[in-house]
Amino acid sequence: MRRALIFSVLLGAVLGKEDFTGHQVLRISATDEAQVQKVKELEDLEHLKLDFWRGPAQPGSPIDVRVPFPSTQAVKIFLEAHGIGYTTMIEDVQALLDEEQEQMFAFQTGALSTDTFNYATYHTLEEIYGFMDILVAEYPQLVSKLQIGSSYEGRPIYVLKFSTGGNSRPAIWIDTGIHSREWVTQASGVWFAKKITQDYGEDPTLTAILDSMDIFLEIVTNPDGFAFTHNKNRMWRKTRSLTEGSPCVGVDPNRNWDAGFGRPGASSNPCTETYHGKFANSEVEVKSIVDFVKNHGNIKAFISIHSYSQLLLYPYGYKAEVAPDQAELDQVAKSAVTALSSLYGTKFKYGSIIKAIYQASGNTIDWSYSQGIKYSFTFELRDTGRYGFLLPASQIIPTAQETWLALCAIMEHTLNHPY
Amino acid sequence: MPPSRRPPPASRPGGPRPGVLLAPLLLLALQGVAAAAPAGAGGPEDTPGLQDAELQRGLLQQAARAALHFFNFRAGSPSALRVLAAVLEGRARVNPKKECQVDLVFTTDHYNPEAGEERLGKCSARVFFRNQKPRPAINVTCTRLIEKNKRQQEDYLLYTHMKQLKTPLDIVSIPDSHGHIDPSLRPIWDLAFLGSSYVMWEKTTQFLHYYMAQISSVNQWKTNDDAVDFDYTVLLHEFSTQEIIPCRIHLVWYPGKPLKVKYHCQELQMPEEASGTEESSAVAPTELNNS
Repeated sequence: MRRALIFSVLLGAVLGKEDFTGHQVLRISATDEAQVQKVKELEDLEHLKLDFWRGPAQPGSPIDVRVPFPSTQAVKIFLEAHGIGYTTMIEDVQALLDEEQEQMFAFQTGALSTDTFNYATYHTLEEIYGFMDILVAEYPQLVSKLQIGSSYEGRPIYVLKFSTGGNSRPAIWIDTGIHSREWVTQASGVWFAKKITQDYGEDPTLTAILDSMDIFLEIVTNPDGFAFTHNKNRMWRKTRSLTEGSPCVGVDPNRNWDAGFGRPGASSNPCTETYHGKFANSEVEVKSIVDFVKNHGNIKAFISIHSYSQLLLYPYGYKAEVAPDQAELDQVAKSAVTALSSLYGTKFKYGSIIKAIYQASGNTIDWSYSQGIKYSFTFELRDTGRYGFLLPASQIIPTAQETWLALCAIMEHTLNHPY
Repeated sequence: MPPSRRPPPASRPGGPRPGVLLAPLLLLALQGVAAAAPAGAGGPEDTPGLQDAELQRGLLQQAARAALHFFNFRAGSPSALRVLAAVLEGRARVNPKKECQVDLVFTTDHYNPEAGEERLGKCSARVFFRNQKPRPAINVTCTRLIEKNKRQQEDYLLYTHMKQLKTPLDIVSIPDSHGHIDPSLRPIWDLAFLGSSYVMWEKTTQFLHYYMAQISSVNQWKTNDDAVDFDYTVLLHEFSTQEIIPCRIHLVWYPGKPLKVKYHCQELQMPEEASGTEESSAVAPTELNNS
């Protein structure tokens, strides 16, 4: 009741950014008509700027009034002098507003801080977006949130930027959740975000990386698909765009990039999971990244994260030709995979996409590589088929931890091999 | 999608048909180590330019998976399911009809991660893929990891757990969206996997391979005096096309006896083709040799 009062009465003031520090809300008990009249006199004193929530009416009816700080003493003296009883309902209106704001926020996000956020469970889109806001609020010097576009269904597409300064420093791009059903990837992305903030200033490698480079992390790369996996179909992979002339929905965002688009390794049937779309970059989720990367112009490593299969892959996917940087990429992959397995013994294989997994045209890292981003890698995280997409939540943190080691190996190599 | 046709009735899976001459077009012996051989090659289309070595490695993996599905089905034991660990060695021969015979040796792990000690099993198999047609012919032998009697005991124990489940089962899907399987429901999952093994064996080709992604509904669960009658819908994940294929499976399981399975899978709608849905379904032959 009290809360409803506050919000209904103060909403306009809050929006106008008024400050209610020290304001009190008093509940006055006028026992007879004379006392009621006295309180009405108070009401007439405009300079007190009293705000009656429940005005003086009959004796016995409580009278609620918000008293601005400068007037509190005067009002209380007046009431006491006339023997009119009162209690202080709210000691400090602003403090209550702040607390409620925080709680509302926390209710939306499920957590009050990134330290109490539960990393060992899968979250909804709202919870992940809430987490991002909390993280930015906690580490404003290091983290900022950028909106790089809006999804087909109008959801904002966010990227977290981790930067210690500079101007368009060479950067590392990491995306998770491009295929919405691969839940361990978005969950790992959330964990990576927190990890970066924890390790900066603590871990020498990560600190060295962030002292010269920026990290861009897109946690929910396919927000429409992700919402769909929560609400309707846990196995949804693609975007949720409508295809003209077809009853089927969605384009495979990992076949929609402008690298070997439409060639063997993708499907032209809108009803299939690997449908490439009508043309390259038809999907806004893909186009947003393309525009961002091109505008930035200084991305040096591009890592796209999927599940499942336990693989670390580099270009090409659309053709069997060996990438010019194959030897180096293979070496980096090998050291990354070794680092990964050092934690829990998880075995990853590595190689080019077409050799290690299957032919895939129009895929993300073939495109990023074609843009001159040499260190282009795709991960396929746990597992190898036992649970597949439905990886038990208990494996989120171990998966994120081991993958992080591999990411650090790639990032460190990128740092030490500028080009 | 490769065309599916009704498999010949009551044909017993075994080695290649007698009298078929396989001209070895390609003979390649590979020594592999656990972490070395990458997973399968290409989709249903040809992948020109891929080295023969990669094609062969992919084939070995495919063959191992098919052999293991078949082995699990034939063993008929939800408490003794095996999963592929690594291909040790193998060779493939492709004939002019693009049929492919694979001989291989591979190691296996417990399917159930909670199951006892880590004991690697070893299998040798001959798998005959019939050029994109499903139902590869398989001959497979595996080292005996548990004595037959002990295995039957474990199965019967599992059966008693199943009997204790309250019917009708109040579940929507196993696992749930978060990958959680209630320990009391684990036997259902294992039995479902056993039935799905039959389906996955039949549907595997050189290019298509499957995983069981989720039990999306339990239509019927009856435990009679000594049998489980289980009617469920499972979602299979085909890897190279990334498709999710719902299959309705009806199995009857007597601990210690061969599994009886009937199934019907919903194949992909192809709006361009006049015929509409494709379907595959089959009944398991009830007379089988126990290996």
